[in-house]
Amino acid sequence: MVGTAVVLAISNDDDKRIPPWVIPLIIYAAALVLVWSPLDAVVSADARRPDVVSLVSRDAWLRIVVGLIAAAFAVWMFAVSRFTDSPLVRTWVAVVVAVLATALLLAPWWLRLIRQVNVERESRVREFERAEIAAHLHDSVLQTLTLIRAHAAEPDTVSRLARAQERDLRSYLYQERRSPSESVAAALAASMNEVEDALGVAIEVVSVGDAPTTMAMAAAVSAAREAATNSARHGVGPISVYAELTATSYEIFVRDAGPGFDPGALPEDRLGIRNSIIGRVRRAGGDATVRSAVGESTEVTISVPREEQR
Amino acid sequence: MSVRVVVVDDHDVIRVGVRQSLEADIEVVGEARDVEGAIEAVRVTRPAVVILDVHLPGGTGGGALDVLASILGGASAPRVLALSVSDSAEDVVAVVRAGARGYVTKSISGPDLSDAVRRVATGDAVFSPRLAGFVLDAFNAAGGEVAAADEEIDKLTEREQEVMRLIARGYTYREVGTKLFISVKTVETHVGKVLHKLQLSNRHELAHWAARRGIS
Repeated sequence: MVGTAVVLAISNDDDKRIPPWVIPLIIYAAALVLVWSPLDAVVSADARRPDVVSLVSRDAWLRIVVGLIAAAFAVWMFAVSRFTDSPLVRTWVAVVVAVLATALLLAPWWLRLIRQVNVERESRVREFERAEIAAHLHDSVLQTLTLIRAHAAEPDTVSRLARAQERDLRSYLYQERRSPSESVAAALAASMNEVEDALGVAIEVVSVGDAPTTMAMAAAVSAAREAATNSARHGVGPISVYAELTATSYEIFVRDAGPGFDPGALPEDRLGIRNSIIGRVRRAGGDATVRSAVGESTEVTISVPREEQR
Repeated sequence: MSVRVVVVDDHDVIRVGVRQSLEADIEVVGEARDVEGAIEAVRVTRPAVVILDVHLPGGTGGGALDVLASILGGASAPRVLALSVSDSAEDVVAVVRAGARGYVTKSISGPDLSDAVRRVATGDAVFSPRLAGFVLDAFNAAGGEVAAADEEIDKLTEREQEVMRLIARGYTYREVGTKLFISVKTVETHVGKVLHKLQLSNRHELAHWAARRGIS
């Protein structure tokens, strides 16, 4: 190619004019081949090995240097040739051509850089996730197992630990991460979990319908929590909590399997039911009833209007 | 008369636990730990009830759905009680639509499990509070509103909703009957009808849940 260029340059007398950009183009093409030939191998090499220098032999370096010089020469040759008569246009075109020529030369380097950045980012993300999971398992499962081993002689403690851990792991796996303010169902489940943990009982929670938690709903959930605590203290399992969100109201039913009590015989100073359940719900614009009899199951019904009271 | 059951679960611990917690009148005649084993055990022992874990290795990867597809044909097909650790709607709906007569979670107590097995054995449906809650959710029946649906199969009657709501609240069938002034047999009939609707309804929630588990 260089030979062709030289021949063309020599034979370039005034009789047979060839366009002034032909010779620089041929030289540039040759330069491109020289620069790209070793780099191509680098680009397709393992992108996870960032050591570019060692991948390129000395022979290749020589080719790159010669290529770069040839390219620079081609651009210079083009810039000084009188390819048009206007000096202004000539300057601009020369600058643009120089930039484009440089960009083309460096394209393989650029590609390689992008690929390397991507690979590094991916591996960082993967590493981060792995560390997250390991940390979570360590904080939860391993700790619980240690606790269980320490309490092996106490079945109640073991079963409570296992239950809490199971719940935790499940919510981690199934990504149930709605916050209690976004979801009243999540708020109810969270407060019942706390009762389970505190008192070591099993509570079955079923929610139908869901919405962001309003003040009234939050009051209902607090009252349900109090009712479930009472059931856990005085009643026997299983404790069932059922919540239903309708178009107009939010209702929670808390039920145990006995032994029940006489609601009429309740002393005035029993704050639990009067204040924490009925009073709290009434202040939120709703109502609560306690249905029970000695020897039967107890059911607390809590109902609040769906729209916030103003 | 004792009820013959086959217990299918891929965890040995769970199988042992189930076997021990069942009451004396329920006889475990076979066990299996994967899809192929379950199909074989049912073929050989011809049990009345199969207690079937939802997530099983083997088969085409559908777990309990593969087993149900294979054992439910024929006149003397066993009844299936699905057992799962998972509470997710897709699992529940998929196995019930594939033909299970009941669904309970593994946290169930021994007497309750025995009760569920007997009930399924006599052809009744077993709805846990959670399953009842799913049904109310899926049929959009919260608050006693009868959903606007064209097909009879796509909505619950008022009575069926009341029964489902009481079951969700933790009432036993007997207590539901007392509360609504109907007999236990009538409660069972209502539950059976709801099960039927759950299996055949085309409500898009149900169809969607089922489709996600690869059945139609």
